[in-house]
Amino acid sequence: MIEFQHVFKSYGTGAPILDDVSFKVNAGEFAFIAGPSGAGKSTLLKLIAGLEPCSRGSIHVNGQRLDQLTAHARPYLRRAVGVILQDTHLLYDRSALDNVMLPLAVTGHPSSVARSRARAALQKVGLAGKEQATPIYLSGGEQQRLAIARAIVNRPALLIADEPTANLDRDTADKVMSVFKDFNQVGVTTLVATHDEELMARYAQRVFVVEPGRFRDFTVPKS
Amino acid sequence: MMKHSLEHHRYAVAVTWRRLLQQPFSFLTNVAVIALALALPLLGSTILVSIQPVTQHVSANPSITVFMEPTASLAQAQAAAKAIGDLQDPNVLELRLVSKDEAFNDLQSNEAWRQALDVLPDNPLPHAITVTLLADQAMSTTADVLARQWEQLDGVQFVQLDSVWVQRIEALLRIGSISLALVTFIIVLVVLAAVFNTVRMQALSLREEIAVARLVGATESFVRRPFLYQGGLTCAIAALIAIGLAKLALIPLNEALSSLTRTYDALFALQLPSTATLVLFVLAAIVLGAFSARWSVTRHTRY
Repeated sequence: MIEFQHVFKSYGTGAPILDDVSFKVNAGEFAFIAGPSGAGKSTLLKLIAGLEPCSRGSIHVNGQRLDQLTAHARPYLRRAVGVILQDTHLLYDRSALDNVMLPLAVTGHPSSVARSRARAALQKVGLAGKEQATPIYLSGGEQQRLAIARAIVNRPALLIADEPTANLDRDTADKVMSVFKDFNQVGVTTLVATHDEELMARYAQRVFVVEPGRFRDFTVPKS
Repeated sequence: MMKHSLEHHRYAVAVTWRRLLQQPFSFLTNVAVIALALALPLLGSTILVSIQPVTQHVSANPSITVFMEPTASLAQAQAAAKAIGDLQDPNVLELRLVSKDEAFNDLQSNEAWRQALDVLPDNPLPHAITVTLLADQAMSTTADVLARQWEQLDGVQFVQLDSVWVQRIEALLRIGSISLALVTFIIVLVVLAAVFNTVRMQALSLREEIAVARLVGATESFVRRPFLYQGGLTCAIAALIAIGLAKLALIPLNEALSSLTRTYDALFALQLPSTATLVLFVLAAIVLGAFSARWSVTRHTRY
């Protein structure tokens, strides 16, 4: 599903954020990307989502080598990858339902189909009844779940999330994580960047640790 | 695929509509500016298109009138006409002798002239020969040469080149056409700039929305389409308003013109170009708006 081969990433002439990173995530896996702030977790996820190019090496996602993708093909890959960034990037002048319907409009679904699928996605993340609320009237946890609903509504093969539980209390964080687990159980490969060790201990099958100048791949046994 | 494409267009129309409703004042101001700009070349072409048939009905072939001396007899005039004919100049298309009586009767058929002629003791008009020449590139030189040659004939008082005024009108119309083309070019630039700038402002204000759309897999055409529709719609409405404005402007113009043409016992009114031309005008405005919007959105959403 995801394969990094000797990937380097640096900005400008500075030291590389990612230095010779190689790893592979198989379809259906649930993995965490851990590491301190500024170590390169977000950069790693952006590389997987094709939001940024790597400086060297090769990245394969869903069977496609990203640096060889044409500008025309890149949007089609993004449709197969559900992305939840640290900043949720919600549209604050639209209702929750409109936010979730956007990916379906992009893929050309009729509005009636889009509406019913968006409602189902909102229900799945526990936001039933909040369809007409604009994100500004939703709590941090609800906004995070709204971003998840938008990411999963097109039934992606891969779900990546950057610090989805940051600034959330434990209960809300658990709700968000259980949503990810539910999707993973139906075969969606899930990759979550976090620095919450307790969360990793409870949910992880596999953990990649990103540290300045170092990348490690290991599995955390469930406590 | 086709169904998805239709859905994309339907979505783009909905988005365009929503964006217009979000900023109605900005949209209407823009439409007003473009409509006023488009009304100018439309009005200009209306005037040119209306005047051209009038000049086309008047022969633009150069014609020379040879006036005999007032004392010259009809026989002298006939002799001069024969002399001109005998020269068999290849530039002469037609030759006609107008006797002083014929000219007098012609003038008398005009009410204004009849009253003036009635007070004269006798016919003051000379015999005349009208010669129509073939129009060619060197017409003025040819006419000059012929005029000097015919002035030497017995009994001829003077020779006058008659069709200069038609040529002057035609020259003025040519100047008008060129000026109109230049004005149209400038207006096209104004419309391009107006739409370009509006779309630029909107693309910048919708930065976040565009970024999110790309994040969830929107293609560039998906991002651009609502802007294209907005550009096209703005110019379509502006073009229709411009037609309305031009039609309104023709009312006082035609009133003023009719009071002038009445003094010549003539009927003449400025009319908008044909419906087909107006449809083309609206279509051209739509294409112009969409093109400008595409250019702007492509340029300002590269982030």
